[in-house]
Amino acid sequence: MGETVTFWVLAVASVAAALGLVFSRKAVYSALMLGVVMLSLAVLYAVQDAPFLAAVQIIVYTGAVMMLFLFVLMLVGVDSSDSLVETLRGQRFWAFLAGLGFAVLLALGFGNVVFAAPTGLAAVNQAGNVPSLAEAIFTRYVFAFEVTSALLITAALGAMVLAHRERAEAKATQKDLSRARFVAFGETGANPASLPGPGTYARHNAIDMPALLPDGSISQLSVNRHLARHTEELLEERSGELDASETPVAEITEGENSK
Amino acid sequence: MTFLVSPVANPGPTSPGPTLADFGHDPLWISIIKAVFLFVFLMVGVLMGVWTERKLISRMQHRYGPNRAGKFGLLQTVADGLKMGLKEDLMPRKVDKLLYFLAPVIIAVPAFLAFSVIPFGPVVSMFGVKTPLQLTDLPVAVLLILAMASIGVYGIVLAGWASRSPYAILGGLRSSAQVVSYEIAMGLSFVAVFLYAGTLSTSEIVAKQADGGSFALGSLNIPLPSWYAVLLIPSFLIYVLTMLGETNRVPFDLPEGEGELVGGFHTEYSSSLKFAMFMLAEYVNVFVVSGVATTLFLGGWRAPWPISLWDGANVGWWPMLWFFAKLVLLFCFFVWVRASLPRVRYDQLMHFGWKVLIPLNLAWILMVASFRALRVDNSPLVIVLMAIVVVGALGVYFRFDTVLQRRREQRAAQEAEEFDQLRDQPTAGGFPVPALDLPHYHGATTGLNRKEVPSA
Amino acid sequence: MELYAPILVLAVLAAGFAVFSVSVAPFTGPKRWNRAKLDAYECGIEPTPQPVGGGRFPLKYMITAMLFIVFDIEIIFLYPWAVAFDQLGVFGLIEMVLFIVTVLVAYAYVWRRRGLDWD
Repeated sequence: MGETVTFWVLAVASVAAALGLVFSRKAVYSALMLGVVMLSLAVLYAVQDAPFLAAVQIIVYTGAVMMLFLFVLMLVGVDSSDSLVETLRGQRFWAFLAGLGFAVLLALGFGNVVFAAPTGLAAVNQAGNVPSLAEAIFTRYVFAFEVTSALLITAALGAMVLAHRERAEAKATQKDLSRARFVAFGETGANPASLPGPGTYARHNAIDMPALLPDGSISQLSVNRHLARHTEELLEERSGELDASETPVAEITEGENSK
Repeated sequence: MTFLVSPVANPGPTSPGPTLADFGHDPLWISIIKAVFLFVFLMVGVLMGVWTERKLISRMQHRYGPNRAGKFGLLQTVADGLKMGLKEDLMPRKVDKLLYFLAPVIIAVPAFLAFSVIPFGPVVSMFGVKTPLQLTDLPVAVLLILAMASIGVYGIVLAGWASRSPYAILGGLRSSAQVVSYEIAMGLSFVAVFLYAGTLSTSEIVAKQADGGSFALGSLNIPLPSWYAVLLIPSFLIYVLTMLGETNRVPFDLPEGEGELVGGFHTEYSSSLKFAMFMLAEYVNVFVVSGVATTLFLGGWRAPWPISLWDGANVGWWPMLWFFAKLVLLFCFFVWVRASLPRVRYDQLMHFGWKVLIPLNLAWILMVASFRALRVDNSPLVIVLMAIVVVGALGVYFRFDTVLQRRREQRAAQEAEEFDQLRDQPTAGGFPVPALDLPHYHGATTGLNRKEVPSA
Repeated sequence: MELYAPILVLAVLAAGFAVFSVSVAPFTGPKRWNRAKLDAYECGIEPTPQPVGGGRFPLKYMITAMLFIVFDIEIIFLYPWAVAFDQLGVFGLIEMVLFIVTVLVAYAYVWRRRGLDWD
């Protein structure tokens, strides 16, 4: 009874999620719908007395594989649109072939299930679900198990080849940077210490407002130069509404660099 | 070595407790009572946990901590919660509305569910029904906890992504990368426990820690420790580290490194009830990892040694007290760590997780497994195999050690050389040097042949 | 099936509470509209018009995610092996040593090529 109810609820949910996966316009939503499908599958496994498989489905697929998908989606950007240019030549043919192969595999699998006499859950799970599974993996399917490790190597190498860029030279450590700052100080007199903080709180509530020096002049060093440029643009935009007492960053004098 | 092979069974005054077979017979109303209890326990736990943490950490820092709302400030968290409810709930303009709304739910629910397999006590009589003090147990209970942890990460990623704010996205990515990295070390640290317990069910793992057997020394029977925290110290220590990393707590609270990322993934969740969900989830997660530590390593609900001599210690409702005490102590440990340690840098965090914890863990697992194999099969083959494993591990270790040692020596030599050079010619390399004939330097270098020690 | 029913009860409770809190939040608080409040928080400056890094993130995270999958699968194999270790005996140990060593080859390669280094 409970099993039937669960099945029909989850069947509707997972088919709806699968449709959502295909028709959703945002890639992240598609990925999440895939997650829902995977979770429904996991619950179905659990209901069918395959607790280990259910847990693995959640941990490996929902937890790890989907996380990879989400990361990759974020890597390519929130608003990027799909490019429909096919860069791989003949990929349709190979994709068709792979699909066909997969269909044959599926058919064989189903055939095996339909035509072979079922062993029965009780007989298979005699020693408990997990130990029985372990027996099967580590004795009968030991070769497949060992080959899996090769697959894992391929995955790791693939990620390295695709995503890793090796540095030509070692990254400068904090020590190196500190040395470089002092050498620069010796040569040009550039300030080796940390820069003054912005005028947040003192003059304004934003970090793009410069701090004041004791003599009342403006410390140009206190604002990140990218932010300063950004502010300049803003100030130009809003030049009409600008408060007269406010000193635009553009007017900051160079007086400070001479110290 | 033979004493390991035959642990003298020492049947205590009480049975080891419920096993998997004791579950699944509860009528629905008992399940509802238990679930409601668990829910209320966790909610009140969070309220009191926040208070405990604030109070404890302020005492450690010579402050009073909250002391206005209620006696000892006990109602401070309640007041804060109410205030969160009465704050304006902002929905920033650019956010992805659905996911921004869902993320707090996704992070909170799995945290609660993970607690459903934590055993609180043995079988008791509840309104005339015999039932174990544990919501439920599965043949794969520990995997359920890991699964819930891996779903909880989605809350973090989605909160960051849906916020459409640089701090939130960076915080979310960092945080999820950290959590998944430490999840591996965490998962590996359980393996040794499973090797000893031979089961993934939490109640049975607790039962397995009931009795460590004893070591017969003549006529004297010395009881051996039964907690896996003692038997498998490396696993336990690694787990303790990963539970700090897994819950984003100090010293691994990088996602909230306020100096660089403001609030991390929940920057855009202002102070409303949505933020309260993140807070709730964080504390429930702390309870979950503490509960797992208690169950897997610290004997679960079973009484610690001096109390366990009392016959009634492990029966009835008492064990809930022991469990609770262990949970509170672990929580205090979290607070203590937070008061003592500074935050680590992100690269240090990832290095530690990937380059230290994982290899250490794998080596330790193989070692434990080899010992276990000796117990199962005493043939010379095992001993040879063990020798190979040990020699291999030592070989790898020494190889690394010599390489590192060589590198250290090289660096030291280089530094010494540089130092000598700079002493002879202080301005070499363009470093600024104060004039050495300043009045207060007079006589400072004469007569003394001191060599300064270079730093690092 | 009976083992999961209590989890479902707790799930209903927890989800009910979470959804209730989150959806009640807009109605319990005041509403005072302010343009600046609804901007993404960037320490007070105008929000950058572009997402961070042009909306792209370091590929570094992909390597982490991939390695996570690799080790996750290794862990998933380790668990039943650990549970059934006493039955599998020495043969199981040899198998697992082989497996771990093979995966460690990938690990060593990634380490060697500085795939585990963070900048």
